[in-house]
Amino acid sequence: MSAYVLRRVLRTIAVVLGIALVVFVFIRALPGDAATVILGERATPESLARLRQQLGLNDPLPVQFGRFVSDVTRGDLGVGLKSQIPVLSDLRNRFPATLELTIGAILFAVIVGLPAGVIAALNRNRFADNAAMTVSLVGVSMPIFWLGMLLAYLFAVKLQWLPPSARTDIGVTFQPITGLFVLDGLLRGRPDVAWDAVRHLVLPSIALGTIPMAIIARITRSSMLEVLSQDYVRTAAAKGISRGRVVMKHALRNAMLPVITVIGLQVGTLLGGAVLTETIFSWPGLGSWLYQGITDRDYPVIQGGVIFAALVVSVVNLLVDLSYAVLDPRIQYS
Amino acid sequence: MSVDVTTTTSGTAKRRSQNVFWRRFRRSTPGKVGAIIVAVFVLLAAFAPLIKPYDPYRDRSLIDRLKPPSIAALWSPAVRERYTTPEGRVDYLKHPFGVDQNGSDVATRVLHGARISLQVGILATLVAMVLGAILGVLSGFLGGWFDNVIGYLSDILLAFPGILLAIMITALIPTNPSDAGGVIASLIGWMQARNIDVRLYGAMLAVSIVQVPIYVRLARSVVLSVREREFVQAAGALGATSGRVMFRHVLPNSLTPLIVQASLSIATATIEVAALGFLGLGATPPAPEWGTMIADAFQIGVYLTAPWTMIFPGLAILLTVLGFNLLGDGLRDVLDPRSTQ
Repeated sequence: MSAYVLRRVLRTIAVVLGIALVVFVFIRALPGDAATVILGERATPESLARLRQQLGLNDPLPVQFGRFVSDVTRGDLGVGLKSQIPVLSDLRNRFPATLELTIGAILFAVIVGLPAGVIAALNRNRFADNAAMTVSLVGVSMPIFWLGMLLAYLFAVKLQWLPPSARTDIGVTFQPITGLFVLDGLLRGRPDVAWDAVRHLVLPSIALGTIPMAIIARITRSSMLEVLSQDYVRTAAAKGISRGRVVMKHALRNAMLPVITVIGLQVGTLLGGAVLTETIFSWPGLGSWLYQGITDRDYPVIQGGVIFAALVVSVVNLLVDLSYAVLDPRIQYS
Repeated sequence: MSVDVTTTTSGTAKRRSQNVFWRRFRRSTPGKVGAIIVAVFVLLAAFAPLIKPYDPYRDRSLIDRLKPPSIAALWSPAVRERYTTPEGRVDYLKHPFGVDQNGSDVATRVLHGARISLQVGILATLVAMVLGAILGVLSGFLGGWFDNVIGYLSDILLAFPGILLAIMITALIPTNPSDAGGVIASLIGWMQARNIDVRLYGAMLAVSIVQVPIYVRLARSVVLSVREREFVQAAGALGATSGRVMFRHVLPNSLTPLIVQASLSIATATIEVAALGFLGLGATPPAPEWGTMIADAFQIGVYLTAPWTMIFPGLAILLTVLGFNLLGDGLRDVLDPRSTQ
């Protein structure tokens, strides 16, 4: 078991190093090196040469890569070309907003997707099943930037039920603690702030959570169907245990393993989707920051955002793999 | 005489296996629905210039800017009034999906957009499938260090959220001959001379590269299971070279899962190219690419007052992607009966 954990951790480290290498190669391959980007097209050859020397661009590539890795591990991701703010402080300031949005999206996905999958499995090939699977097929086919715009148009502009953008109403002031505004509102004893934050969170969470919701519904259904056909479930039913109890206690628990894997695997989709969702809803998180970086061709920002996202995905995948051992004691590690 | 007999029997056998395919496919509701949607879009794309003989790039009518969809005249009196001709007749098909902020007919642009999206989605998938299948087959067949290196590279690419990797690659792909050297510069020059949208095909390539590792893994795992089968070992025992075994015996028998995956991939590729277009990294405006159209409606905020500028391109994306997803599900039901749930 511990040998397996060790091997899995080592593999993750290797992958993260590989990610750093890919990003490094990416920056090197861009038209114009860092010196020309900083000084502009019209810099004199002398000043370019001096800056190249200062930045170490004349060193051999492996040396440069080593320096890049050590910079990144120390948290030095460079400075945004346009804002002149260190990329790391932007990452730190904007991460809570994206985290809150991602949590909202996962909550939406699980609260809707899980029951939909269970109900579909229990009513196999009947109306409820077909309806749930149709909805989930439309869900996985959804361009979420379009869904976000539809939601904003319908619920914010037409019906005016919910706000169309930002994390709080203008004029709402309070001292953040964690940066998760719903939680902060509760911790500060300001239910009005928490409620305001929830209202702002609803539409973007639905937009971002729709694809994971659809996938969770499909996986839950097929996993439930498989478990329900197993002998121990029939035995439990034959013993006279009520149907509800068999489903909730015996079947659902074992059907959850693939579902949890899928939720873990969706973290990458969510981070990518955040770029689109945050742009639509002017959500001040990493996604809208990255979108601005793309528009400005701000390479340190793109690089920092992509490294960070890939790092999060790798770590989450590792945690998902390791959590199998806890969730399913039958799995043998060697 | 005996020759005749063999040809007839092999002919019927072939027909029978096709019959099995069609019988199963006809029983698969998702497959049928998907096939119909895809066929409709392919036909619309093929005949777009005949159905709507306007130039989706240049034909504009500034007086009609942001005019609402004429199909809304069916229920809205205000719209009916705007589409009533001097003779007192209501022209429901004048601008069925409305007019956008530039005075272009949205229906024309959506229709012509089908040509772009289908082409790009299918091409991206083909490139990814060919590259991935070759690497995957080699990897599974050769094993050893080659397999390890390819596996490691796939792991790295899969660790990036797909759309973010695509964004990074599009930023990397040069769009001016002056940014690149050698062959690539002349390729870009060649494309520009023929009015081919370099940025669109850059986005396509990016989406393709993102999908390669999926095919590598799939092809590798199939090859690993197929190569242990008797007929492959028999071919080897009969003295076939490993190249011949690999491409004549292993690859053809590994195609089923690749085809299923391809249909699902076209769906993903279509949506990702549209997303890149939405982020301003896809087709060059005023190309009628669906994602780019939605981006235009979003950026100047016209969608809040004139939602038809984004509703119809988005609906087109949704339907295309849904069609290919359904088709993929249907093909899986047919080609791989074990996975039927």
